[in-house]
Amino acid sequence: MATLHVIAHSPFGDERLRSCLRLLGADDAVLLCGDAVYALRPGAAPHQQLQQANLADRLFALDEDLQARAIENPLATAVDYPGFVALSLHYDKVNSWL
Amino acid sequence: MKFAIAVFSPAHAPSSRRALRYAEAVLAGGHEIARLFFYQDGVHSASANLVVPQDELDVAGQWRAFIQANQLDAVVCIAAALRRGVLDEAEANRYQRPAVNLPAPWELSGLGQLHEAAQLADRLVCFGGD
Amino acid sequence: MAKSLLIISRQAPWNGPSAREALDIALAGGAFDLPLGMVFLDDGVFQLANGQQPAALQQKNLAANLQALPMFGVDALFACGHSLASRGLAAGDLALPVQVLDDAALTGLITQYDQVVTL
Repeated sequence: MATLHVIAHSPFGDERLRSCLRLLGADDAVLLCGDAVYALRPGAAPHQQLQQANLADRLFALDEDLQARAIENPLATAVDYPGFVALSLHYDKVNSWL
Repeated sequence: MKFAIAVFSPAHAPSSRRALRYAEAVLAGGHEIARLFFYQDGVHSASANLVVPQDELDVAGQWRAFIQANQLDAVVCIAAALRRGVLDEAEANRYQRPAVNLPAPWELSGLGQLHEAAQLADRLVCFGGD
Repeated sequence: MAKSLLIISRQAPWNGPSAREALDIALAGGAFDLPLGMVFLDDGVFQLANGQQPAALQQKNLAANLQALPMFGVDALFACGHSLASRGLAAGDLALPVQVLDDAALTGLITQYDQVVTL
């Protein structure tokens, strides 16, 4: 059963994103929200980790958090709240990294 | 579809507002919320004693209005709440504390309510963090 | 059939109530006979270290609650091998009988459960 992993902490000085990527299943997806979207800043180490994870269309980010932080992001698909709800249902379960 | 939504952060944390916006989108999408459950620091999202400046968002107030408007089942974990000073009238009386900050529509109960909601729902979605 | 829940605990034991409150979710679910699993990941593996003396911090011992897990029917207990190794903890010297899993096995484990929460 595929999992949508939700991360809401900045990847700088925090282990959540790294651990999540280590344990990610082949069909799992990642949704970044809050300070976790800083991982999408090009040139930063977390951005490289995300690129290497090769998530393609399985990487999402909450649009309001991208906008608020002025993050131009070609790597993740931006979603609004209805999109977040739809993803929660598309995947079999939602694992929030609290 | 039925959702169980659990909130682990206080009203001033971005994830409490995010949980609220998500819950609104769940209902707007024609889905059902089996229960809202507030745990750990999330119990502060239920406090009625928060005072925010007029030009700032009152997330706790919005939670209260949302729950009342949609007549939702909103449970605050009693053990987590007592530890953090979030008390309804019965608990304030029981422990002889000077203030009540958890009026209706919130309800204090145990962790069993989280498990029951997770069993009833098609999805358990938890909110915490920044 | 009851839905299964996997609780992934990644909090160190003495930085506040987080680790204990994650454990309480497992114990409460066990009391209702729900199919539960628990994984210790990242700093969460420090909960499993032998010989801790939380009395020095005037804290209650978490070990008693951890050892209650099997009594509450929660015996699917796992630790992340990567987290243990990177923190200098030996798999054979833990305060709780857990199955140590590598990353691929943990990925497979998460797949098996109906619901997952990481605290």
